[in-house]
Amino acid sequence: MTENVSDLALEGNAAVSLVQELFACDITVARAQCEACGSIEGVGALRPYAAPMGAVLRCTHCDGVLMRAVHTPHGRWLEMKGARYLRF
Amino acid sequence: MTATETAARPVRRLKWQLAQVREIVVETYRVKSLLLHVANWRGHLSGQHVDIRLTAEDGYQAQRSYSIASPPEDELLTLTVERVENGEVSPYLVDDLRVGDQFDLRGPIGGYFVWTAAMGGPLCLIAGGSGVVPLMAMLRHRERRNGHAPALLLYSSRSPEDVIYRAELDAMARRDSHLRVVNTLTRKQPDGWMGRRGRIDKALLAQECFPPEQSPKIFVCGSTPFVEDVSRFLVELGHDPLTVKTERFGPSGGQAP
Amino acid sequence: MTGTLPNESMIAMNETTISRGFRSKRQEQTPKNRLPPGQYVTTDFPVLSAGPTPQIKLGDWTFALQLGASLLGKWNWAEFEALPQTTIKVDIHCVTKWSKLDTNWQGVTFDDLLKAVGLTEPPAPYIMAHCDGGYTTNVPVADLIGDQGMIATRYEGLPIPPAHGGPARLLVPHLYFWKSAKWVRRLRFMEKDQPGFWESFGYHNYGDPWKEQRYDGD
Repeated sequence: MTENVSDLALEGNAAVSLVQELFACDITVARAQCEACGSIEGVGALRPYAAPMGAVLRCTHCDGVLMRAVHTPHGRWLEMKGARYLRF
Repeated sequence: MTATETAARPVRRLKWQLAQVREIVVETYRVKSLLLHVANWRGHLSGQHVDIRLTAEDGYQAQRSYSIASPPEDELLTLTVERVENGEVSPYLVDDLRVGDQFDLRGPIGGYFVWTAAMGGPLCLIAGGSGVVPLMAMLRHRERRNGHAPALLLYSSRSPEDVIYRAELDAMARRDSHLRVVNTLTRKQPDGWMGRRGRIDKALLAQECFPPEQSPKIFVCGSTPFVEDVSRFLVELGHDPLTVKTERFGPSGGQAP
Repeated sequence: MTGTLPNESMIAMNETTISRGFRSKRQEQTPKNRLPPGQYVTTDFPVLSAGPTPQIKLGDWTFALQLGASLLGKWNWAEFEALPQTTIKVDIHCVTKWSKLDTNWQGVTFDDLLKAVGLTEPPAPYIMAHCDGGYTTNVPVADLIGDQGMIATRYEGLPIPPAHGGPARLLVPHLYFWKSAKWVRRLRFMEKDQPGFWESFGYHNYGDPWKEQRYDGD
């Protein structure tokens, strides 16, 4: 995880990596349907936020949160209630 | 799914591997390429990146992600790093690192922002600053495969001193009539500069990029504001958003690094 | 493992590689009694957001105190600027381990907000901060009164830049900085504590940096 976002780093991928850690398949080429607006996008195209606290992946159309992930010393969290489905 | 995307593939759980610096190349006054031998490297695709981890003697650790600059055909793995003011990791990598030094590395990571010669072209690469790194891996791969698919690199830099891989790109373009490299300098231009000035805007994209009818594979890489502006212009010019792949560097809160 | 370089392979599998000469720059010149455990000092001001930076026009901005369905008070920008202003110099601590010392902020304290709506006592023990973009965070009122919390509108004497939470952000510097919610628009009083955006998803409900309460379970 990046510790200082002012250092040039692939922050988008730091966020995606937090989600990717939990999946056996390459999540960046999976498609997700946004629960809020119905648009379908590749997970790799979602707008990433919040690294290094966690990953918040948002819809490029409506900014709705599709997925969230957090990696803590006590466990990892994943929420996908903003995605109607993920299709691999 | 479009032809550029791969079907679901299982992802191997990545382990940290030992990377040893074999060679260091000075690219610009603040950019260096590190050529690494990685113990059990199984190969990669152009566009992918790695995580590196530095550990100090007192156990302090810092981790960063860097795009792979070398094509899959190369023996050694190349990372190209730009020194960022007040950064914690990049000043170490650019100023302190020596041949023989080592650190932990894992990868390759990322299946989305990837181009292989088999995907074909036309290939439209748009780079802001050090965003050129993964796109260079794509161009190097294309050249090693003797690719004839038409390709364009549209590359925005602040000044001539900031153009990474300048000599190599000039030489590549001279050797290959199907490759065009268009530089634009946003802050400082040398005397007699006849090339483009200013940021990449919609007009420049309309002029230089392959038109939507040719279904180019488009890859945009740079700071978040750069990537969002360029993507928006491309969509306004009629490109299918699903054909525009993006990779963002730096903070995503809206501030340029 | 390959047979050619057994030492290298074993190192890769079992140990962390020490990188010659690498050290944290931030351990230098650290005034130890000012830094909570696990933190390092930074001179820059990293931006971390859970969503895009809202572009807010001051003409449209309002701030409210809410209890249940009723509004205790609501101000537009001019009205808010006319409230008593307080300037403070504080250290701030981000859960991602950076700390920034001696930062200067100006705004309206929570105490002055209560006074402005005619309350001598807070009407409930907790608040939830609601922000443009949907971010939320919960804070006990006991951690806001007595000059512990404010709605800040200036940083280092200038309007807070949008990326850092402008036009106004909650400021509760004795807790981890995720509690100092950017783009705050409303404080909603609650009888019972409820977790906000990060508190409901892996992070500590309270967030005291001196007890290193970063995560749920710490």
